[in-house]
Amino acid sequence: MSAPTETPAAAVKPSPMSSLKRFVAKPSGALSLAALVVFALTGLIGPLFVDKPGGLGTDILQPPSAEHWFGTDDLGQDVLAQVIWGTRISLTVGVAASAIAIVIGTALGLLGAYVKRADTWVTMVTDLMLSLPLLPLMIIVTAMVGPSVTTLTFVIGLFSWPEVTRLIRSNGMVVVAMPYIDGARALGATGWRIVTRDVLPAVVPLIVVSVLLTAAKAVISEAGLSFLGLGDPDSWSWGRIMLNAQRSGVISTAWWQTLFPSLAILLLVLSATVAGVRFNDSRDPRLKDR
Amino acid sequence: MVEFIVRRSMRAILTIWIAITVTFFLLRLLPGDPTLLVVEGDMTPEMQQALREQYGLDKPMLTQYWLYLVELVQGNLGTSFRQLQPVTEIILSRLPWTLLLAGSAFVLTILLGIPLGVYAAAHRGKRVDRIVQMFGITGHALFVPSIAILLLVVAGSMLGWFPIGGAIDPDTRGLAAYFSLFHHLALPLFSLVIVQLGPYALTLRTNMLEVLGEDYIKSARGRGLSPQRTLWRHALRNAILPALTLMGLQLGTLVGGAVLTETVFAYPGVGRLIYEAVGQLDYPLLQGAFIMLAITVVVANLITDVLSMLLNPRIRT
Repeated sequence: MSAPTETPAAAVKPSPMSSLKRFVAKPSGALSLAALVVFALTGLIGPLFVDKPGGLGTDILQPPSAEHWFGTDDLGQDVLAQVIWGTRISLTVGVAASAIAIVIGTALGLLGAYVKRADTWVTMVTDLMLSLPLLPLMIIVTAMVGPSVTTLTFVIGLFSWPEVTRLIRSNGMVVVAMPYIDGARALGATGWRIVTRDVLPAVVPLIVVSVLLTAAKAVISEAGLSFLGLGDPDSWSWGRIMLNAQRSGVISTAWWQTLFPSLAILLLVLSATVAGVRFNDSRDPRLKDR
Repeated sequence: MVEFIVRRSMRAILTIWIAITVTFFLLRLLPGDPTLLVVEGDMTPEMQQALREQYGLDKPMLTQYWLYLVELVQGNLGTSFRQLQPVTEIILSRLPWTLLLAGSAFVLTILLGIPLGVYAAAHRGKRVDRIVQMFGITGHALFVPSIAILLLVVAGSMLGWFPIGGAIDPDTRGLAAYFSLFHHLALPLFSLVIVQLGPYALTLRTNMLEVLGEDYIKSARGRGLSPQRTLWRHALRNAILPALTLMGLQLGTLVGGAVLTETVFAYPGVGRLIYEAVGQLDYPLLQGAFIMLAITVVVANLITDVLSMLLNPRIRT
């Protein structure tokens, strides 16, 4: 009430800065964002400072020490270096797979929401995908194509879209039923124009949330596939570090070899999830000033 | 009611058929010649050709597909590349263990999840509620092998409370055998339940909050029923159905989790089999394992649906 001239403008289009301010206003937003930035920096520039782990070292199965912060594995390789190099792969696969899933998921979701005849098919395929055990399916396809970072990215991306489709479709339907869509149609706008100019912008915030949640799931999937031996044999990944511990039978003794990659997965996925939830809340006008 | 079951069964069969068809063509169209992987090392082109004929890979794809379907309906999923045994036999010998593990996890998650969700909803904003909310969000971030390894190291190796591998002690008989069975099941089971429970309870809490806002709940309270009675008798009854349906939707994820836990605990189910088959590049076995797990999940989903219908007076006619 104090500044009536400002309110309408702010309500129509909040600036990116004010959105960010609202996002970090709560500790969950600030902390998750900070954690994501730390992971991104580690993946981006971390490998410049540590050598890629490989070969045989002299310090075998050492617990964490000043020299090896995260200890060493049965080949004498530094676990910290493995985790840093693994960060790059986890982030790459997570972001790229999520991008693939989001593009397919959004396209199909909007198709289902706007085109009634296509909706039956979209719903059927989505439900079908969601009802199958996807991990075993990803396992066969990855094994068949041959494990590599590219394979993992595509396999995870191509099997992760159904949840995005379901979210975008159900919310897109609400938007499509709104009077302004009827208005656009009455003015003679084509279906393509309505979907891209009117429906899509309305679901963009949901897409942002989906990007974070899908990326979080993709990181878990990548770790799972690598843990089952389907990781890229030439690059480090958090799942592969744990697999090495499992294969060399040191799970019960060398706790550092599984604990640190586990913590990395937990922190990255948790911060992406929390950031997604926080973004959703920070946009909800009903939850304002909380 | 019969119509409902028939319709759902048809849909289940359709789902299974589509899953089989998609994997068949996916695997045939992907790069990579499976015959090159049967035996490593040198193979003359004639030997490769003979192998292709043996597996029917020289025929047109649609013929291959038809032959595959005909064999599959008769329960033949091909021969394992490495174990040289029928895939169906190998998988059927492992499937009961996975069913036991995933089935117990399914039931235990529901049994713990419902009271947790209801209690959190009834004490909205209190400490229990906040813990459930936190656990619900954290649950999405839990990596099954991490939890499994944590339990294995702490409860298995350090404290020695539970065995850290296998499914049963073969020397036990009678009651001792059952005890051994559950003793071995405990850690893989807890790993799955811990990962599933949080998000599950959180969703139930949200459902329950909606139910608690309904008019009939207010009317029950207005008639002077105690809050406890309203909650556990009236509201809970309407929360159980979505709880079952919701768990049914999680079946695919549950089976994926079972694959990972079985790997950590060397539990002799289909999951551990998949892990071994990956290492040996045994494609018929991998394909067969996926098909069998898909059938299991779809059938379990069908059972869940029918069960929900029997419990729901509004659908039952």
